[in-house]
Amino acid sequence: MEALKKIFKDKFAFTAFIILTILYIIILFADFIAPYSSSYSDREMSYAPPSKVYTINEKGKLSLPYTYNYIREYEPTLMQTIYKQDRSKKYFIKPFINGHLFGVENGGKLYLLGTDINGRDVFSRLLFGGRISMTVGFLSLFVVFPIGLLYGGISGYFGGIVDTLMMRFAEAVMAIPSFYLLIILAAILPSGMTSVQRFALIVVILALIGWAGFARVVRGMVLSIKKEDFVLAEKVMGASNLRIILKHILPQTMSYVIIAMTLSVPSYILAESGLSFLGLGIQQPDASWGNMLKEAQEFTNILYRPWLLTPGLLIFIAVLSFNLLGDAVRDYLDPKSNSQS
Amino acid sequence: MKKILIWGFIIILLGLCAKSCIRRDIPETYPKNIINSELENIAYPDTNKNVTINGVDYLQSQAPVGVFGGELVISTIGEGPKTFNPCNSKDNTSSSMAGMMYDGLVTTDPRTGDVIPQLAKSFSIDGNEYMINLRRGIKWSDGKPITADDVIYTYEEIVFAGLGNTATRDMMMIGGKLPVLEKIDDYTVKFTTSKPFAPFLRMLSYQIVPKHYFKPYSDKGESVFNAFLSPNTNPQEIVTNGAFRLKEYVAAQRVVFVRNPDYYKINTQEEKLPYLDKLVYLIVGDTNNEILKFEAKEIDVLGIRGSNVARYKIKEPTSDYTMYNLGADTGTMFLVINLNKDKVKPIKHKWFSNRDFRAAIDWAIDRKAMVQNVAQGVAEPLFTAESLNSIYLNKYIKGHPSDKNVALNSLEKAGFKIKDGILYDSDGNRVEFDLYTNAGALEREAIGVMVKQDLEDLGMKVNFKPIEFNSLVNKLTNTRDWDMAIMGLTGSPLEPHDGKNVWQSSGPLHLFNQRPQGWNGNDRLEWEKELDEIFEEGALKLTFEERKPLYDRYQTIIYDQKPIIYLYSPIRITAIRNKFKNIFPTPLSGLLYNLDEIYIGGKE
Repeated sequence: MEALKKIFKDKFAFTAFIILTILYIIILFADFIAPYSSSYSDREMSYAPPSKVYTINEKGKLSLPYTYNYIREYEPTLMQTIYKQDRSKKYFIKPFINGHLFGVENGGKLYLLGTDINGRDVFSRLLFGGRISMTVGFLSLFVVFPIGLLYGGISGYFGGIVDTLMMRFAEAVMAIPSFYLLIILAAILPSGMTSVQRFALIVVILALIGWAGFARVVRGMVLSIKKEDFVLAEKVMGASNLRIILKHILPQTMSYVIIAMTLSVPSYILAESGLSFLGLGIQQPDASWGNMLKEAQEFTNILYRPWLLTPGLLIFIAVLSFNLLGDAVRDYLDPKSNSQS
Repeated sequence: MKKILIWGFIIILLGLCAKSCIRRDIPETYPKNIINSELENIAYPDTNKNVTINGVDYLQSQAPVGVFGGELVISTIGEGPKTFNPCNSKDNTSSSMAGMMYDGLVTTDPRTGDVIPQLAKSFSIDGNEYMINLRRGIKWSDGKPITADDVIYTYEEIVFAGLGNTATRDMMMIGGKLPVLEKIDDYTVKFTTSKPFAPFLRMLSYQIVPKHYFKPYSDKGESVFNAFLSPNTNPQEIVTNGAFRLKEYVAAQRVVFVRNPDYYKINTQEEKLPYLDKLVYLIVGDTNNEILKFEAKEIDVLGIRGSNVARYKIKEPTSDYTMYNLGADTGTMFLVINLNKDKVKPIKHKWFSNRDFRAAIDWAIDRKAMVQNVAQGVAEPLFTAESLNSIYLNKYIKGHPSDKNVALNSLEKAGFKIKDGILYDSDGNRVEFDLYTNAGALEREAIGVMVKQDLEDLGMKVNFKPIEFNSLVNKLTNTRDWDMAIMGLTGSPLEPHDGKNVWQSSGPLHLFNQRPQGWNGNDRLEWEKELDEIFEEGALKLTFEERKPLYDRYQTIIYDQKPIIYLYSPIRITAIRNKFKNIFPTPLSGLLYNLDEIYIGGKE
């Protein structure tokens, strides 16, 4: 508790923490909060702009929020698709409707952030996509850290030829250009996988590259810790090597581990987005922020359909928040390496 | 102080939030549609004529006389040319660059699609004998005359010897025999094929290369020949006969061509073409890059796709370019169903081999929505195996709108039953299969999502799997363990025989029922047999009138049997700056087929 208080003395870290908490709560309850399911699609509403929500009616009086539907028209000489408001009927936005947090009555369409090429609600898909994008990082960490800790611990503790061999191998892994390896691995993955399996495999792929750098730092710390008197005492008392490493040396590296964990989450979020952006990560029709952002790649989409960029904004917010929080945690646990000094 | 700032910031933020929540309902106004005047009918010039001046047989362009000078900048997407050797080009960029520098004996009439003489002065056909008369007095860029020896060398020592790209040789192999060449005199060559073969004449568009320049390299065997005319070659030394000569190649940036001052095409005032001094190909990374370069006026011509069209249409009246609608593209997008007996599970094979099941899929797919959503209206629904601009298009196949009820009736006829919205076959198996396409292509993924929805409306379960392109190709052609796939192919609008690798049951691209190598051919389906016969027979018939009914029949078979369900063809829209004149776009040849006639004629 004391620790949390100290960390949150940093206002940025506190804000970041709040933002992340809200994000995670929202994606946890995505089924309830999102007005549509992730597979809902309306053929007639491909690339519809965000619904306009009005709180002052046409007579200038305050009103409950309402919106109009769009009608799509195609203009053949310009070869242009135009969305016009259907002003014949107002749809009021009501809470707790049809089992969702908010929505409009049947027949109405509420696209808070417009729709994508298949006429799917971008806002809803953002929430469902967040489930993948925001958790892939943590899941990878659970693979990376045990490997990295154990590998670094053994290498540092035994030293000598074991250390040399293990570290050269780790360096070799680090020398592999990670993003290209990711692309190759993603390409040769068996094609008959469900998206859940694919998701799990991406987690593992991400982790397989991430452990080496981490192991190297742990090994450095172990090198100095193993010279401490308490390690010697353990040895004299006849404890096994593994026990010394796991029970006595590795806990000493905890502060570094926590810092590294918080600071590496964003890189995993970005890696997942990058892979999905290239079409090798999470596949359509499942949503992730990366594969949603892919649609905004096209020139005209950036110009005329800026709502397709919202996944990018969310990636930005999530990554920034994790970094700010990580910084504050580091300042607290490891004041010596204070970046501000 | 700091606190005040932070609070101020928060208040402003909250204020902005509140502001965006409170919005007054004011009816939106929409801009009035600017109705563009329909493209006036283009007055095409007459076909080129042969004119003899001082013993030289020139080709005379009948297009309006223009002004000499200036440059045209085009873009090419990708890495740039891999070779300048016309006989060794295996990718589009290399072929078009080589095509700029070397002419073939014949070419295609851009409007009618007929074969017309180019480097040849004229030709005559007598059954399986093709007599080619060459132009007298025309020269290679180093001053040596172009004679029958060059033609014979090109075919005998390069094409038939299998040097470079062997596609032409493979196509010229008729019944296992290559045609025979005979030199009648210095300006006459006779080709004799083993039997009459309709597509042969068009194949004579293969570029003729100079014997005196190529022979030292072709004699040294394949590896030397393949390295010959690599992009590092000094441009000055390349001997050509085309309208343009290579001036410079800067890797990954641009390829610059200059006019060939001694080209054999002249205008009606007997001045030597081409008009343009320079032709520049800018090498750009992708379509977005290309668009930005067009906006920055760095390139003069732009092929515009789907959603970009509206943007340029709106700006057209106030900008310095004109957009031409070249009609449907030769590219087709389709859903292919695997009818393979060995590699598809017997349960699934039973569904897929049922014509009514395939018809149900065809009727369920909403092509109109695909055209509207995926191609943004810049496409046309497609129902035929031939592309919409093909001269062999079967115009009697009208297609049909999508109709879920017809699809359901068709399934019922095939013995399928729906229970609680789930489709079961007559043995009680749930209908579930995989649908593949190549990952990373926004267009195809969007189509896949739509097909999945359409089919799931019928109660099927579709596992949509975008996979990496090479894995997909491997699946389709080698392992054959797939159910359905969304793919695209490009065909020829002029020669349906080019599609024989897809339609003949032993073809290497017979996607829907790919046979392994060494297959004996005794398990062909009835209609596969008929397709084989049509493609055999079609090549032997020589006139369009004789061939048309055969190729109409093949399209009807595909439409009835639906092993491949065609989805749509994109429409090609190309923009070119107004200053360029003599632009005569045609659906068959596009916009830039007459680069030698295009000139720069002021701003107006």
